[in-house]
Amino acid sequence: MKCKRCRRAEAAVDLPSHHAAFCPDCFLLFFRRQVTEGIRKPRLLDPEDRVLVCVSGGKDSLVLWDVLMDEGYETEGLYIDLGIDGYSDRSKEKVLAYAASRGKTPIVVELAKEGIPIPEAARCVRMQECSICGTVKRYFFNRVAAEGKFTVVATGHNLDDETARLLGNLLHWQRDHLARQHPLLPGADGGLVRKVKPLWRVSEVETAAYGFLKGIDYVTEECPMSEDATSLVYKEALSRIEDRMPGTRIVFYKGFLDPSNPLRKGPEAEEERGTPRACASCGAPTYAETCSFCRMKERLRKARSQRAARVSR
Amino acid sequence: MYNATMITVRLPQKKTELVLPGPRRVMDLLAEAGVRPTTVIVTQGKKLLTKDHRVEDGATIDVLSVVSGG
Repeated sequence: MKCKRCRRAEAAVDLPSHHAAFCPDCFLLFFRRQVTEGIRKPRLLDPEDRVLVCVSGGKDSLVLWDVLMDEGYETEGLYIDLGIDGYSDRSKEKVLAYAASRGKTPIVVELAKEGIPIPEAARCVRMQECSICGTVKRYFFNRVAAEGKFTVVATGHNLDDETARLLGNLLHWQRDHLARQHPLLPGADGGLVRKVKPLWRVSEVETAAYGFLKGIDYVTEECPMSEDATSLVYKEALSRIEDRMPGTRIVFYKGFLDPSNPLRKGPEAEEERGTPRACASCGAPTYAETCSFCRMKERLRKARSQRAARVSR
Repeated sequence: MYNATMITVRLPQKKTELVLPGPRRVMDLLAEAGVRPTTVIVTQGKKLLTKDHRVEDGATIDVLSVVSGG
């Protein structure tokens, strides 16, 4: 199969959803254009932005950092060490090695030192592991960005992530979540930093292919705590549909983002929420009395003291 | 183990390896391995393979899952 673009070289990546196949050079160009188009259309980033890129050591976040640096954005990486035995060490190693290859040193937050390692929190707090992790990460993304005077936080969520989330929100009629789901979450006064998902147009296969062709060494094993994640069920369902009807995922998500869709408000929904207040406990921006991170820490503190009481009996 | 008359299909994330007769297209090897094409990339050394690429006997290919959870 020949490359659809240059029509000379042998194709290395076939993309049925785009009715296309590309040689390595043309695919890298195609991918970069997909990402920059995704940044331009909902205007996720401005050239003068200081971007905090959240990197996990996986393909998506490292590819995102790579593309943003190549596109000339001012970026720094943030790695959150979840404190998961073995897995966190291997992920951190990949992040540090990639960063060093680009002359960077990432900011590292160690949850064990912050008193909230994910494995212990998962045992003590009655919430899904991935929800705990999400809450903790969002808290530190915003805190590090605000303290470091970053203008925007960027995460590596891709088309597969966003459509899985959309399907989940639809199946459970999560109207509030549907209204806000968007690649752009605007910031607000009170220290809430804008968040963007520049990879929203590209699939996991495309991101993995880009990472492989660019020689980015990412962690290929899955987080051992995400085995039962519901997002994987939605991804599996969408991937079966995509196998039979290539292009369904992007049509699904673009249709959702269409301004005429009454279910979604996107950035306007965030603005309608008004200005966040300061968390009564830590001062972080929140729409509740106490932020979800402090509520979780409180549950963890109670679980620890109950356990200590049981042990001393 | 290298086999000159067969194709070795490695699935590192599943920690398994299949040895299948060739020559065969990547998509046929994936079907035999029970892997859906939209969930993986397939590599041979430093080369990325399309799903209709014909793999010859004696070759070793890696099937890398791209699905991330959480």
